[in-house]
Amino acid sequence: MAMVVDYKHDSSFPYWTSIRRRFAPDSPFFSSGNIERELLAKQVALDFTEDERNQLEKMIDTDARGVFCPIVGCGARLTLLEDFEDHYNTRHTASCSVCSRVYPTSRLLSIHVSEAHDSFFQAKVARGYAMYECLVEGCDLKFKNYKGRQQHLVDKHKFPTSFEFFKKAHPSKKQRLKNQRKRAVNKKDEEVSSKMEVENEMMEGLVSAVSKLSTSDSSPSTVSFGRRNARGLTFVPRSVQPPLQKK
Amino acid sequence: MADDSPASHRRDPIKSSVGSVAAQRRRQNAVTVGKERRESLVRAKRLCRVGPSGDGDVPGEENDMVTDEKGFLLDAQTSSAVEDLKSAVAYQGKGAMQKRVNALRELRRLLSKSEFPPVEAALKAGAIPLLVQCLSFGSPDEQLLEAAWCLTNIAAGKPEETKALLPALPLLIAHLGERSSLPVAEQCAWALGNVAGEGEELRNVLLSQGALPPLARMMLRNKGSTVRTAAWALSNLIKGPDPKAATELIKVDGLLDAILRHLRKSDEELATEVAWVVVYLSALSNFATGVLVKSDAILLLVERLATSNSLQLLIPVLRSLGNLVAGDSHTTSTVLIPGHEITDGVIKVLVKCLKSDHRVLKKEASWVLSNIAAGSIEHKQLIYSSEAVPLLLRLLSTAPFDIRKEVAYVLGNLCVTPTGGDGKPNLIEEHLVSLVQRGCLSGFIDLVRSADVEAARLGLQFMELVLRGMPNGDGPKLVEQEDGIDAMERYQFHENEDLRNMANGLVDKYFGENYGIDE
Repeated sequence: MAMVVDYKHDSSFPYWTSIRRRFAPDSPFFSSGNIERELLAKQVALDFTEDERNQLEKMIDTDARGVFCPIVGCGARLTLLEDFEDHYNTRHTASCSVCSRVYPTSRLLSIHVSEAHDSFFQAKVARGYAMYECLVEGCDLKFKNYKGRQQHLVDKHKFPTSFEFFKKAHPSKKQRLKNQRKRAVNKKDEEVSSKMEVENEMMEGLVSAVSKLSTSDSSPSTVSFGRRNARGLTFVPRSVQPPLQKK
Repeated sequence: MADDSPASHRRDPIKSSVGSVAAQRRRQNAVTVGKERRESLVRAKRLCRVGPSGDGDVPGEENDMVTDEKGFLLDAQTSSAVEDLKSAVAYQGKGAMQKRVNALRELRRLLSKSEFPPVEAALKAGAIPLLVQCLSFGSPDEQLLEAAWCLTNIAAGKPEETKALLPALPLLIAHLGERSSLPVAEQCAWALGNVAGEGEELRNVLLSQGALPPLARMMLRNKGSTVRTAAWALSNLIKGPDPKAATELIKVDGLLDAILRHLRKSDEELATEVAWVVVYLSALSNFATGVLVKSDAILLLVERLATSNSLQLLIPVLRSLGNLVAGDSHTTSTVLIPGHEITDGVIKVLVKCLKSDHRVLKKEASWVLSNIAAGSIEHKQLIYSSEAVPLLLRLLSTAPFDIRKEVAYVLGNLCVTPTGGDGKPNLIEEHLVSLVQRGCLSGFIDLVRSADVEAARLGLQFMELVLRGMPNGDGPKLVEQEDGIDAMERYQFHENEDLRNMANGLVDKYFGENYGIDE
């Protein structure tokens, strides 16, 4: 598939095309049938019990179908494909107790909490400190604003341009209408300012999200932030100041 | 690998009979035997326990795991049997032939007993050169038979054991000829089948030594067991990956007719082995595929699929059909024409396979359907209105993963027109709407959630169809209802860039700021 930078123009989505698929005789596609052939051929001579049969198939299955977790930085080996969902729910759903956004690692979650719910963080940003960490573990670079970090992720680490670390929660329909009207009236400058303002709409969205508090965060932690075991209503200081997001 | 064999655990026979040490060793044995057993079971080689004339030990008597003592004893007996053979071969006097046959028979019995015959012991004692000598031209049939039988079982195990047969190959091949007695030829074919089943390297050796033509001619014979053994050996011999052998085989005079004859009339056991030959012919050789498609083969395969309930037979027959459909666009465009009886027949037997309890049949039948659904619009309509669709919808939500993936291909293929020159196929709205209304979307979204790249891709592609193609802009709403947005958002931190781009692109396009406003 061709690498395209801007997906919005939709010019390279690999649409579904119906084509014939042919497999070589030694393709993994045929291996379960091949194994079945050999087991059946020997069955008469060796007289497997139902139990033995099931055990054998399980052993063979396990070998063939193990897979590695595809979430960036994880690399866990899953014996069976089916295990992935459980693994994902256990390891990659670190959720924020304030706004219930979900992140695939506890590190990213704590970065989010600092950036989105910590006024202390915002205070330092306002004073010019480079507070926005690069999201890629081991990179260690820091930036003075969200957009700067974003650009770094795209330039250095090949993140897609449409990637948003702080993705807007999907606002209610009423809210979306409000947004639309606001945008029509307000021809504002699209630049991200380093001054933070509390936005009412965000507040509304967050309040409704808070009602869906989740206590699940059992991701393994090689880094401890103290916020990790956030359970129940551990509110962070009230001045919720998310960075301005504009596409 | 040698360390895994029961033989190497028998270093201290004295200790093995008493107490916890023995128990521990037996448990250890159980684990390694488990792994070794599994490997031996899936090999394409077969032990011979009953000879072509029917003699041999009843199978199953030595089924239990070889204990330390039993195995040690067996090895010792084998070594001495080889010693006996050595002196019998050297002996020139009166009754020499009987002596040789007796010694061979004894060795053969020892090599035909347990699930893991004492091959290593036999090789160590120097069996191969002796057996090669026993294969010399002019030897009596009984001697040839027993020698070939010993070699068969020596070759039925581990790779290095099979490779030990190299010196014997030219003679084994020579005894396949028409001049040989049929039981002898058959036993040699079996031994060669095991050698061919080892791997590409040995296959190439056999082919270069001219093993194919005599084996092919054996398939033209009348005796069932001969044809069966030859067919099995050939299926191992031509399985490639080089297609040359397959092409050479189909060109043998009378072979196609023999194949068709057996597919049509023979008992299921024999038809099974012949069907496997067809599997490899159709998977590897375009020439063979062409020949088969023009013949009655498809009709005969359909007939077998309709009438048989033997999984052993159904697997290769279904796969042959699948290979013929997949390998040649000719099949769907000129043979399986919608509206013709043969096409209805094919759909019917594929439906029968979808209904079966067997995983392999469901998966491969779905694959065949997906290829037919990749044909013309009429093909898609044919499948869409058949009994297959309700079955497929159910499988999409309940079946194991590998089946669901194939089913996804069928359903998706039903929703798009054939790919024209411009590359962007159009939707078949009627099919898409109906399938989505019948609840297939959640199955596709489950695929998006899986860790399998191909499946995730399929899921995202289908979601794109839904988002783009559902009338009245219903697509996004439906996707949201099934937690599709959530599934796509997982890809933000996914390592596969293509999938990330696909998912992000869809979210940006269909769930952006203006989502839901113009309702």
